[in-house]
Amino acid sequence: MMSQCSAELCMLLIEDNFGELFARIFTVLQRYERLTLPRLKFYARLSDRQLHNGLSAMIQHHLIYHFTSLDDGNTYYEANPQAAYSLVRSGKILQLVESRLGEYAAQVLETIMNLGHSSIANLETLPELQSTKQRIPNGVNHGEEEIEENGGKEGDLAAPNGDHAVSEKPARLHPTLKSLASHGYIHRLREAHFQSPNDNWLDASRIISSRPDVKIMKGKQQAMEIEEKAKEMVKERTEGDLSRGLMYNGLPQGAKKKRDHGNKESNQPAPNGTNGVNGGHVDDEEEEENDWSEDEDGIDSMPMDSNLIIRVNYEKFDVALRNTRFLELAEQDAPSASIQIYECLLRRIEYQTARCRDSYEIPREGEEGEQYSAPIQLSSIVEDVDPDLDLTGCIGPMEPSTVLNRRGKRPLDDDTNGVNGDEHEDEPSGQNRAYEIDQHLSILSQPPLNLTTKHVISGLPTWRVAFRGLARKLRHLELERMIESRYGDVALRVIRVLHAKGKLDEKRLQEISLLPFKDLRQTLASMQTGGFVDLQEVPRDAQRQPSKTIYLWYYDPDRVCSSILEDTYKAMSRCLQRIKFERTRERDFLEKTERTDVKGHEEEFLSEAELEHLRNWKAKEALLLAEVSRLDDMVAVFRDY
Amino acid sequence: MASAGSQVAELASKLYDACVNEFDSDHLFYQNDFLNLKVIPKNDVALLLECTQSLVNQNLFRLLQKDGKLTWKLIDREDAEKLRNLTPDEAMVYNVIHSTERTGIWVRHIGNRTNLHKSILDRCLKALEGKNYIKSLHNVKYPSRKMYMLAGLAPSEEVTGGAWFTDGVLDANFINSVAGYIEYTVSRRSWFEVPASDRKNKRIKTASGKAEVKSDEKTYLPYPHGYAGYPTVAQITAAVNDSGITPVRLGEESVVQLLEMLCYDNKLVALGNGEWYRSLKSPEAVKAAQSRKAPIEGDDLSVANKHLVKNGMTEAPCGQCPVFKLCAPGGAVSPETCEYFDPWLSNGLGF
Repeated sequence: MMSQCSAELCMLLIEDNFGELFARIFTVLQRYERLTLPRLKFYARLSDRQLHNGLSAMIQHHLIYHFTSLDDGNTYYEANPQAAYSLVRSGKILQLVESRLGEYAAQVLETIMNLGHSSIANLETLPELQSTKQRIPNGVNHGEEEIEENGGKEGDLAAPNGDHAVSEKPARLHPTLKSLASHGYIHRLREAHFQSPNDNWLDASRIISSRPDVKIMKGKQQAMEIEEKAKEMVKERTEGDLSRGLMYNGLPQGAKKKRDHGNKESNQPAPNGTNGVNGGHVDDEEEEENDWSEDEDGIDSMPMDSNLIIRVNYEKFDVALRNTRFLELAEQDAPSASIQIYECLLRRIEYQTARCRDSYEIPREGEEGEQYSAPIQLSSIVEDVDPDLDLTGCIGPMEPSTVLNRRGKRPLDDDTNGVNGDEHEDEPSGQNRAYEIDQHLSILSQPPLNLTTKHVISGLPTWRVAFRGLARKLRHLELERMIESRYGDVALRVIRVLHAKGKLDEKRLQEISLLPFKDLRQTLASMQTGGFVDLQEVPRDAQRQPSKTIYLWYYDPDRVCSSILEDTYKAMSRCLQRIKFERTRERDFLEKTERTDVKGHEEEFLSEAELEHLRNWKAKEALLLAEVSRLDDMVAVFRDY
Repeated sequence: MASAGSQVAELASKLYDACVNEFDSDHLFYQNDFLNLKVIPKNDVALLLECTQSLVNQNLFRLLQKDGKLTWKLIDREDAEKLRNLTPDEAMVYNVIHSTERTGIWVRHIGNRTNLHKSILDRCLKALEGKNYIKSLHNVKYPSRKMYMLAGLAPSEEVTGGAWFTDGVLDANFINSVAGYIEYTVSRRSWFEVPASDRKNKRIKTASGKAEVKSDEKTYLPYPHGYAGYPTVAQITAAVNDSGITPVRLGEESVVQLLEMLCYDNKLVALGNGEWYRSLKSPEAVKAAQSRKAPIEGDDLSVANKHLVKNGMTEAPCGQCPVFKLCAPGGAVSPETCEYFDPWLSNGLGF
């Protein structure tokens, strides 16, 4: 994780979000790894006050782990690159939440993100969560939020603007928090979350190994026992799941509306067809409002424990974002109804998947076992799927030759369907519908993507998703896109052949790929310079003469992935640095627009040309930031999924 | 003596005829095979030996050795005629070339086996080639080697590299045209085309997404899972051979080779261990892709790029930057001095 490029990127992200002080401390910690306070002070060359303020705020944001050793009593500080990196993903996460749970939920989550972690009591007092409508036109509040983002002292933010009485308390806050919690998007903050995973692990194994029953054991047995128990202990200590008890029939709160309002959504000219789940947030606000009132009626309005301290569960969001990627894969060539069914399946799976994978690093290609999602019963998918979704219309018949006859036989049937299609017609029996949905899922299970897998548990058909295989496919897809754009489709074929067959000499490669020697050599050579393929020499005699050496080409996706990942980090840094540079270029102008009296009243104070300029600048910044987020999609594929 | 000689010759020709009648031309004769023919009176082994020797001298038998035993093979009378017209050196070379059959033999190997001097060998080969008994061929595995084989034989797949090589060079145009044809054929059979009369109905029923498809565009639906009507290798081969786009008939192996290539291109998918093939794109899409490919084919990558699926890295200026490895803040190549960002930004904002 701590490569030069990623360190640079983390530093830039922190600087962008929290300012230079944080960035300075973070960089020092990244460069020197674990440090005690005096050493940190020495390297960072900061005053005590700055350092203390910075550290405490960074701990609040989980940017820094700290650990007090029992051996020497020192407290060590360590950078948390994951947390720093997830800053870049926050926009995507908020968008996802907004599309699923509405604008207010996104706002709540954003607040939690901005605070790092927060108790529920604290959230209750925050003015901006009281009521959306009052807040937006209020310029003062808006500015204050800016401070919060740029400045750094989140802890004492609760105090100002107390004029919104606490009495008109969060009618919506608690249900929203609950639905966030039951989706697993937020979780309880545990003490262990402040320590790095390594410290947690060492701590746990130390405690386990000092237990008397473990002490008697010897050698391998002891080591295994310690490992197993320590794993359990770490898991138990970091467990922050809040969804238990909040799930309702296997569905989280606030999610059920999806189905009730499914009709409306599916009748909209397929926003899902193009953009997947993210595209879904075309829903107008009115609808959301309705959903919420409904929720309040339907679900108990017991407030959540106000002493609970919560924070954002980024792991869960990786799962959700990964599912949207799977959905995008499906959209390539599956019929639209299948995609909607797939979305339902993935949604169900998401509720039961806590993280993308168990191991910390992506295992090497070929050494990776398959890991299946929780199986979802066909019947529950049937429940979720919009009952008005047309299932038969988008699959061809099993035997095309008989189609004509059949149509001749039952014109009546067809007519009724055709004419009354829009209205409610005779309800197809549940059995039939289940069969059709099963058919759609079977279509998705076909190669080359194998998006679903059927699994029969004690006679009941269930469907699940083979996560590792699909994640691998996503990785290869990203690599293939890069290869295609850099070296053309000839290269793509060569890469796929090499990937399928392993190491090949030039002649065999030609026979399989059916490419002329000239083209083949050229692409291989240019790909080798690019680091995508490599050459192995196998000498046939001790002299290692070139003429008596076999040359084998090969393609190692693991190696390519890791180098591309570094490149991606670097490209992200470059985009951020470019924004910085562009900003210095326009400094005078931007300073004017950011003046407190101008800000929010741009129309009054700026000339037409200046407004145009501002729009241009904003578009430019947006473009670069969008690029960063596109690159983040790749990082997610290579590192997180 | 003369009578004995003529008697042997007579017997020998009888023996030869009997052999031709009783056995295949490829049969490998052992001594017992001859004796079983009951041509030689009293199964006289010495006489048999004389007969076979005389046949060998007439080039009607070829003497071989197998597992330490003498064996013989028949030679056609025509071939024998040819051989009789050759000088001994030429005959020797001819025999060596003959022995390698359809794989052909490298000139240097002929030299090794016959122990002839290079100039004599060259003369023999030239003479044989002039008489149209042998021909030179091109081996794809060893393009630089000069190889010969009998004129009447067709070179084996190993030598030619299969149907896709013309004179030892991969015939890219031929491959592309056949591949395009196959893709389209398979595609037509992998998607269900909604009949024209049915189409209006459909539009209402699906109601969502695809509703705005232009009405003259055909609608294609995927077949359900387990559909057995996807084309098999045999069917595809037959279709290709019937289409008349190939000058020669293609074997199934050649077609399989091409099908695998198409799979690597992500155009087709093999189902059931390569028993059936399914196309990933509907016929319309295939057609569109093929007509689009044609003009670009070859060099201009940047034009082709417009059609490809993109990701963050291929879009960002850094993804295509030739000096990306050198780029560092404050360096000679740096994000501040980067010359690619400005055009990229203005290009991005232009849309």
